[in-house]
Amino acid sequence: MQPLGKANIGVSTFYASSHAEDQCGADGLPLTPNSIKIQGRYQWLKVLYHPRLCQHIDIVRGKHERLMIIAEHYKQCLEEESENDTYADEGAFLRLAYEILEGLAYMNENGFVHRSLSPKNILLDAEGHVKLSKYALYYMTGCGADVTFPVGSPRYMAPEVLMAGPSHSSSCLPSGPKSDVWSLGIILLEVALHFKIWPNYALPQLFAKILLLGKYGSSQHPLDTILKEHSLVEKFESLSSNIRYLLRLCLQPLMEERPSAKELLQNEIFKEFSPSPGLDKSTYTMFQCQGMRCEGLQVPQYIEDVEMTDDEDYLAERSVNEVYYLWGLAGGDVENELRRNGLLQSRPPICGMPNVVTQYGDILGLERDSTSLYDDTVVMLSLDQLRTRLAHIPPEDYYPLIEGDREMQKLSQSQSSHDLKELSQLPLIIREKDIEYQLHRIVLYDRLLKGYPYTINRIKLEARRDIPPLFRAETWAALLEVSGDFMADYDKIDKESPVPIDHQIGVDIPRCHQYSELLSSPVAHNKLKRILKAWVVSNPHLCYWQGLDSLCAPFLYLNFNNEALALACLSAFIKKYLHKFFLSENSAVIEEYLAVFSHLIAFHDPELSNHMGSIGFDPKLFAITWFLTMFSHVFPLHKIFHLWDTLLIGNSSFPLCVGVAILHQLRDGLLNADFNECILLITNMPEINIEDCVKESIRIFCHTPKSATYRQHARPPVKKEESSVFALKPISYYTVEVNELPRSELSREPLSLEELKSERCPRISAEDLLELCGLKGIENSKSPTKKSKSSKPIILIIDIRNSEDFNRGHIPLSVNMPFNQAFAPEGDLVACPAVTQLNNHKGRVIVVVGNRGTNAPNFAAQLTMLGYEKVCTMHGGIECLKSTGILTVSSPDL
Amino acid sequence: MANRGSHKPNGSSPMCQFKLVLLGESAVGKSSLVLRFVKGQFHEFQESTIGAAFLTQTVVLDDTTLKFEIWDTAGQERYHSLAPMYYRGSQAAVVVYDITNQDTFARAKTWVRELEKQGSPNIVIALAGNKADMANKRMVEYEDAQAYAEEKSLLFMETSAKTAMNVNDIFLAIAKRLPRNDDSGNRQRTQGQHLEDKDRREVKEGGCCSK
Repeated sequence: MQPLGKANIGVSTFYASSHAEDQCGADGLPLTPNSIKIQGRYQWLKVLYHPRLCQHIDIVRGKHERLMIIAEHYKQCLEEESENDTYADEGAFLRLAYEILEGLAYMNENGFVHRSLSPKNILLDAEGHVKLSKYALYYMTGCGADVTFPVGSPRYMAPEVLMAGPSHSSSCLPSGPKSDVWSLGIILLEVALHFKIWPNYALPQLFAKILLLGKYGSSQHPLDTILKEHSLVEKFESLSSNIRYLLRLCLQPLMEERPSAKELLQNEIFKEFSPSPGLDKSTYTMFQCQGMRCEGLQVPQYIEDVEMTDDEDYLAERSVNEVYYLWGLAGGDVENELRRNGLLQSRPPICGMPNVVTQYGDILGLERDSTSLYDDTVVMLSLDQLRTRLAHIPPEDYYPLIEGDREMQKLSQSQSSHDLKELSQLPLIIREKDIEYQLHRIVLYDRLLKGYPYTINRIKLEARRDIPPLFRAETWAALLEVSGDFMADYDKIDKESPVPIDHQIGVDIPRCHQYSELLSSPVAHNKLKRILKAWVVSNPHLCYWQGLDSLCAPFLYLNFNNEALALACLSAFIKKYLHKFFLSENSAVIEEYLAVFSHLIAFHDPELSNHMGSIGFDPKLFAITWFLTMFSHVFPLHKIFHLWDTLLIGNSSFPLCVGVAILHQLRDGLLNADFNECILLITNMPEINIEDCVKESIRIFCHTPKSATYRQHARPPVKKEESSVFALKPISYYTVEVNELPRSELSREPLSLEELKSERCPRISAEDLLELCGLKGIENSKSPTKKSKSSKPIILIIDIRNSEDFNRGHIPLSVNMPFNQAFAPEGDLVACPAVTQLNNHKGRVIVVVGNRGTNAPNFAAQLTMLGYEKVCTMHGGIECLKSTGILTVSSPDL
Repeated sequence: MANRGSHKPNGSSPMCQFKLVLLGESAVGKSSLVLRFVKGQFHEFQESTIGAAFLTQTVVLDDTTLKFEIWDTAGQERYHSLAPMYYRGSQAAVVVYDITNQDTFARAKTWVRELEKQGSPNIVIALAGNKADMANKRMVEYEDAQAYAEEKSLLFMETSAKTAMNVNDIFLAIAKRLPRNDDSGNRQRTQGQHLEDKDRREVKEGGCCSK
């Protein structure tokens, strides 16, 4: 993204044409509003950059099909400047022509035309270089089809444009690139000869004149006709031969003979000029740009004593995008700006009453609303308020030190970054709206993302605090460790040939997150279709299950202009969190997942688990859609964003904790409800507070022994090359996958599905048990449920073997509660010292240990039925610990 | 085991509960039919159903209050393996197709066959030709569907979730056909829970309207 520099940000507005009421398309669905169509087409313009074009920044939809376009803007335009003698010099004149042509050629290369080129929208930057503006109106309105006004400036329209007829008629062919060259010809002619073409003619006369110019077979070149009519023949002859030659070329009446912008640029007369330099590749992240970013990189020379001037404009060095985003955070609102400048006039509704309405809904006798016409005024957004808000930010905050050791980084921190520490404690929603906080986050993430993949660990660390919305797309890609030439990979995939699943994708897309303006546009539908097809084609061993569309939607929304990255993210996401879920036969995978989910519910909330069990409220009835779509079918996009911000930094078991957290939030409602009420509550999914849900998920995650979420169908460990940046030591034990830990005879092993489903409580591995009771030494203890500071054991081991076996060898500090004596016939525990100890232990992990077999799971199930929390069993039975030599024979100290 | 099912709300009319399942190809309008019946709403861009959704609606018929417990299933063929979980133990099924798409009618026929084989005995099956508001795009003739329904003795109506045409009617027609006497009652009490083990509960449960 280009820096703001001396540019302004401007906003202009127009109405899209509205459909008649209750009109339906061929599929029986309501027609997509034209403003939505335009909004969809517009998105791509945001990433289109050329030094001779004004950067498009954003499009905002208002009421009644109003659209507001936000783009780079300059005060100076050719219309005013040409009145001076700026272009009297041949060199200056040709440079002007060259720069406009550069802009036009770039547009043509990207498959669209200007169509409304005029001296008013050829802007000039501070150095006098050309910046074309409003060049995309024709493109974004579907060649003028989606608006009621004609796109173009009559005076400069080419004859063939007028010949084609009004743009909303179906016979109208879209204008080609050479029509812009004609417009340029007229504009340049006016500049060269200091006159206005047919200044006093009314539109019909003007059109007649232009049409005559293009009349085929007329013996005279249009240029000569114009010169004669304006008595400018002599003045024209005084121009340099190059200029005369150029004008004559541009105004060729036949399109075949008129050169294109690209051809003109290669003409002899422009040989002195070289193309305007584009943005340095090193200003992009690896997600935005293909090939080597270091190509042509020039490291600036280190200057020992730089003079720091106080009036340096640090904001101007941020990208236009960021500045606009911050402007919004500083209270800016484009609609208000337009209203303040009188551009949002609307007529009172009473004036919109027609004289006659037919029974078919046709409206007659309604005067045309003049506000629906095009007004090309651009309102400049004042950045004063923004600058005031950021005035006290010290310069060093714009260039934080992110390399070097922590001490150095601390030294470089300014006072305001200490205030940020406090800010970072505030709720997420406040942080996201706080301009200072966001500025610091944006500056930091911008640097980190440009340094990706080498900054991956720092990005993961920062993402634990929060992710700035402006950089969410790329931060997610980084967290998913997207790498390699994913753009080339995407290009290689055949996304167009029909495949059998097309029909299913076709019926799912028009109902996928359609409340979102962006995703309901036809452009979005096509993109979603391409990405889904690309995923299906590139994963032949997997299939399209309904729900994949929902899963893809957040990635498309964020990477709307980068389908390749959206697919790369989707693929990485599925590999990590939904391994095997999209197999054609996935029931074993899903059943295992749900069984582990049930275990977690029992582990963390036995009361709820007991209630659910008693009414037959099986997770299978509601949780398949949760996990298959990772909640993307359950929540609206803005909630998915916040949920996934955290989900993406967790391991593949984290979603299970999210599930438990959601149930936890609905707990009160569920506990008091019968089966029907429960299932209705979950189906309707009342307002879930996502921030609370995320916090609760993290809490649950940190209080779950890692091996309790062991799944045999989870992704097997991924081999990473030693040299890869992704092979660096993980930043936290928490995020490591269970399957990636080294395996030993003390690890968890696969269970049959029946066995897994028959047990109420999770199993933990012997390794986890040893760690949890600190038997491996505190040094090595790295498990989530760390030994507390008070050095009280944080787990209670209950040995349920008979006392003889127990005395022969048991785990130190374990408590003996022989199964056959523990429970009274009614199911309650028989009071004994061990029970007292058990009750004193509430809230901590209770591990039931016995011989291999079903005794321990049954004992644990009974404890859970009695409402004991965090009950689990040890996988493998006491036998598996014999080889470790930790079993003691001393009598228990009861 | 929660004791639900046959009780008398307000001490007046007896209350019966019936489990009903919706089956049919993707995007034929299963969820829209239920939404229209239960909430009187219609969403143009009704989201796809994954797994299944559950809704209830109560209707009063000849002094009897009937409560439908409706399982709305996913349409994609892939989710087929889940379907038995929902239709097993159902007393009624609405098999939906889209009158503008011949394939969905073929799919409806296979659902009917499957229900005949594996559904509860005496299950009441209704065939709904949805999207009747789009008759100008009709691909399945009314007569063909009716002939098929007669052959298989299914209830049949063309419906439109969008205009609400025949939506309540088809559910009421099902309600009328559902047996409400004691001898068939032992099948009627099957409910959402224990979807899999119908055999056990059929023996255990008492009649729905026996009190």
